[in-house]
Amino acid sequence: MPLNIDWQQILLHLLNFVILFAGLWLLLYKPVKKFMQGRKEKYEKMESDAQNKVAEAEQTRAEYEQKLAAADAEIAKKRADAGKELDSYETMRRAAAEEEASAIVAAARESAAREKERAVSEARSEIAGLVTEATEKLVLNGNASEAYDSFLDAAQKQTSTKGGGKA
Amino acid sequence: MTKKQLGIFLGVVAVLIAALIVGIVLTDGLYERDVNIQESMQDAVLHEGDKVWFFGLQVNPGLISAYLVTAVILIFAAIVRIFVIPRFKLVPGRFQIVLEEAVGMFTGMAEKNSPHRNKFLGAYIFAAAAYIFVGTLFELVGFPWQSAAGESVTLPAPLSDINGAIALGCLSYLVILAGGIAANRARGLGRTLKEFSLPISMSFRLFGALLSGLLVSELVYSYLTLSFVLPVLVGVLFTVMHALVQAYVLATLTALIYGEVTEPYVKKTRAHSKEKHHQIKPEVNV
Repeated sequence: MPLNIDWQQILLHLLNFVILFAGLWLLLYKPVKKFMQGRKEKYEKMESDAQNKVAEAEQTRAEYEQKLAAADAEIAKKRADAGKELDSYETMRRAAAEEEASAIVAAARESAAREKERAVSEARSEIAGLVTEATEKLVLNGNASEAYDSFLDAAQKQTSTKGGGKA
Repeated sequence: MTKKQLGIFLGVVAVLIAALIVGIVLTDGLYERDVNIQESMQDAVLHEGDKVWFFGLQVNPGLISAYLVTAVILIFAAIVRIFVIPRFKLVPGRFQIVLEEAVGMFTGMAEKNSPHRNKFLGAYIFAAAAYIFVGTLFELVGFPWQSAAGESVTLPAPLSDINGAIALGCLSYLVILAGGIAANRARGLGRTLKEFSLPISMSFRLFGALLSGLLVSELVYSYLTLSFVLPVLVGVLFTVMHALVQAYVLATLTALIYGEVTEPYVKKTRAHSKEKHHQIKPEVNV
């Protein structure tokens, strides 16, 4: 062959290179690549874990913020409810107090009316007694006009004494 | 004069005397090489006169270099696998960074150029680049071997043997072909066969690039007067740079074309082609 080309030697060179390729692949290329791949995966996993944790923290924060907002709303609602309840309670108490006051006033008026009636009845019975007494004296002692005058004086005096005391 | 200054002075004087003696010896006609430069360069290319024995077969010395390089790489890989990789840390040390960078670079190259199918490709271009790089640097060691004729030969870079370069170029093409068929069946086969010149270009690019370094080194070494200091520069320029550049070029080309043939087929619609036609037409008229 020209240029000293020899097929047998070409095949021997090929055999040599195939041995080299197989050995280098098994001994060096594959283990180094495997290590690099493992390290890459490890760092990628760490990164993804970190991202997941950040996302989780963000989610937790959002949840807490949502809960806080809900709690604030609930507090506001409860406060409003309590205000309303307080208002209605006040209204109710005021109504009750007014009712009680009205009842007291009514009872007082009734009592005053009863007292007046009783005083008037007592005065009447006393006047009747005085009249009876004066009539008796008049009949027994003589002068009718004096007796009548003394009767009127006694009645007037009695009436003024009873009326002033009650007032 | 301090002791340090005295030491420097004596060192400079000794270097000057040594350089003068070397100059005197080299300018003597007795020390000139009697081997024909044409013969030595022809041997470097064709290896007709320096065949070596390999399990009963007479082969080019490049094949011995190839197996030695493979042995060195595999021993290194085994040591790394046993003693270094189990102690890898999450925060890498210097050596771990180098290893990870090497693997990561070729994995990234495979993923970038062939996003749809790249697991095998990454491993292949990693192995090919390691082989080219270490194999090319192997030339600098100047490992001696006995030829079939009983003479001593210096083992060259494995890929400066045309058979080694053809093997790697064709294997790369076969890898691309296999990837194309696995990804796109008949369409992948067609796409790969369209690049029929690829194995030849890959093989001869490797061979030519590495052989050029060898030839220049041979040329320099053929004159005794040039074989001091200068080979260091030549070695660096034509060996280390080639080691890096050729490893990168083969890995990139393989990844690029593998990516092209394994790319999923997207059927073009008529509306698309019509639009394209309308878009192109005015440009043609202009």
